Formats: sequence, structure tokens, C-alpha cells
Amino acid sequence: MNTQLWALAAAGTVVLAAAGLEVLRSARARRLAAGTTLAAAAEPYILYFTGDNCTVCRTHQEPALAKLGSVRVDKVDAVAERELADRFHVYTLPTTVVMTADGRALHVNYGYAPANKLDRQLAEARGGLTLEQTATA
Amino acid sequence: MALTTVDHSALKVNQTGIVATVLVAFIGSYFYRPLLVLIPLLAVVLLVGTFAPQLALFKQLYFKVLKPRGIVKPRPVQDRPEPHNFAQGLGGVFLVISSVFLLPVPVIGLALALLVAVLAFVNLAFGYCLGCQIYFQLGKRGLIRAS
Repeated sequence: MNTQLWALAAAGTVVLAAAGLEVLRSARARRLAAGTTLAAAAEPYILYFTGDNCTVCRTHQEPALAKLGSVRVDKVDAVAERELADRFHVYTLPTTVVMTADGRALHVNYGYAPANKLDRQLAEARGGLTLEQTATA
Repeated sequence: MALTTVDHSALKVNQTGIVATVLVAFIGSYFYRPLLVLIPLLAVVLLVGTFAPQLALFKQLYFKVLKPRGIVKPRPVQDRPEPHNFAQGLGGVFLVISSVFLLPVPVIGLALALLVAVLAFVNLAFGYCLGCQIYFQLGKRGLIRAS
């Protein structure tokens, strides 16, 4: 059993180390991307980085974005538009960036971001209510 | 590159097969050491399935047995099969390395096989495919034609 236990410990250590590195990488990318500016818009909007190879984008992220209703979503192919993807330090797909009306990146989400999270971030960008709160107000 | 329809149930059955085989080899080898042979066999299954999808054992189990009998329902998704094949091939390569270590340093061999099982489980349970992310990174750097 010793062999199995040591193997389990080794695999567990690698998984924990990888998870820790992922957290650090994500935090670093988020810090570098926050505040990146693009052209101003009438309303806060979402920059959505995706690609042909991204399955989660189609199965999870796009349905979540559809739940946001009339919010403007700018879809960007991260492979074709590499320069823009690099400005936001996109290292994984999907990546969603909540932009303020003055064209500043307020929140960057690496990986799948559920609708309620995006809604909260958009509300912060608007400085007002979430869609849910608007509906119940 | 155009999207095609990929049956995600076939991918899930494949991931379940990987997790189950590694777990049987891992736990079973404590009682009956020759069960470790399942790991090199799984490596062969994954690599053969990567280059000849019609020979992918677990996917064929799905298409020939589980789907026709209604045991597992199909889940077609507009997708590309290449990243999934790449991920499977990567799993196969890791299992080959694991197999090389199994006899001289079984701890490393088993640990590598467990990592493959963990990644397959993460994909099965949460839809996060590390191999697909590596495929995206390689495509972004122009090392493979990813889109």
C-alpha cells in the first residue's frame, strides 16, 4: 500500500501546486489587464474572448451572456485578434471583460463567468442596479 | 475552420473509461500487481483512438452499445473534434511515460497515471479541458493551425 499512498501524495501535491500556480497566474493577469482602455461607448459592455476550439464558450459562456438581455457583447476571436487578446492577457478561453462606458476594463474573468457574476460586475460598471434588482424594483 | 457536430456524450464516456481504468489499476494493483498492465493498455487505447477515432475503444462502446440501447443519451454540440483529440493524445503520451516508470519507479508511474485520471475527471465533472487549453495556447503561438 505504501506505493499507492506515495503515488497519491505525489499526484495530490502536483494538483495542489498546479491549482496554486493557476490562482497566482490568474491574479497576475487580472492585475495587468485591469484598467486597460478601449474606445468609449454609450453604456458599459462586455468584451468576450472566444475561439473555434473553445467548447465551454458554446456550452456555458454563450448561454450565460444571452441571459444578460440587451447588454452589448463584443465577440473577439482570441487567436485571430491576438494583439487585442494580449492587451487583456488572455491565457484561457473563455475570457470576459466588463468595460465601463468610458472604455476602461473594470473586471476581467478568466474562464467561465456565470450570468449573475457578470450582472453584478455590469451593475458596478453602471454604478447602479443589477438586472435582477431592476426587475424586482 | 468550420464547426462540426461533436457528440459530447461520447467524450464523457471516454473520460469515464479513463478514470475507471486508472482507478481499477491503482486500487487493484494493491491486491493483484499484474493489474498495472491496464495502464500501458490504456495508453495504447488512447493513442490509437487519437490517430484512428474509429478505433477509439470507449467511444466505440458508446456508439455501438450505450447509445443504440438508450443507456446514454446523445448530446450533440457544435464543436471541433481536434482539441478533444489533442487532449486525448496528450493523456496517452502521459500514460506512456507512466508505463515506462511503472516497473523501475512505480510511485512515479502511478502518480502520472493518477494525474491523467484527475484531469479526465475534471473534464467530466466541470467541463474544463486542460488539453484543449494547451491546444489553444499552441494555436495562439502559431505552433499548430488552431483556427
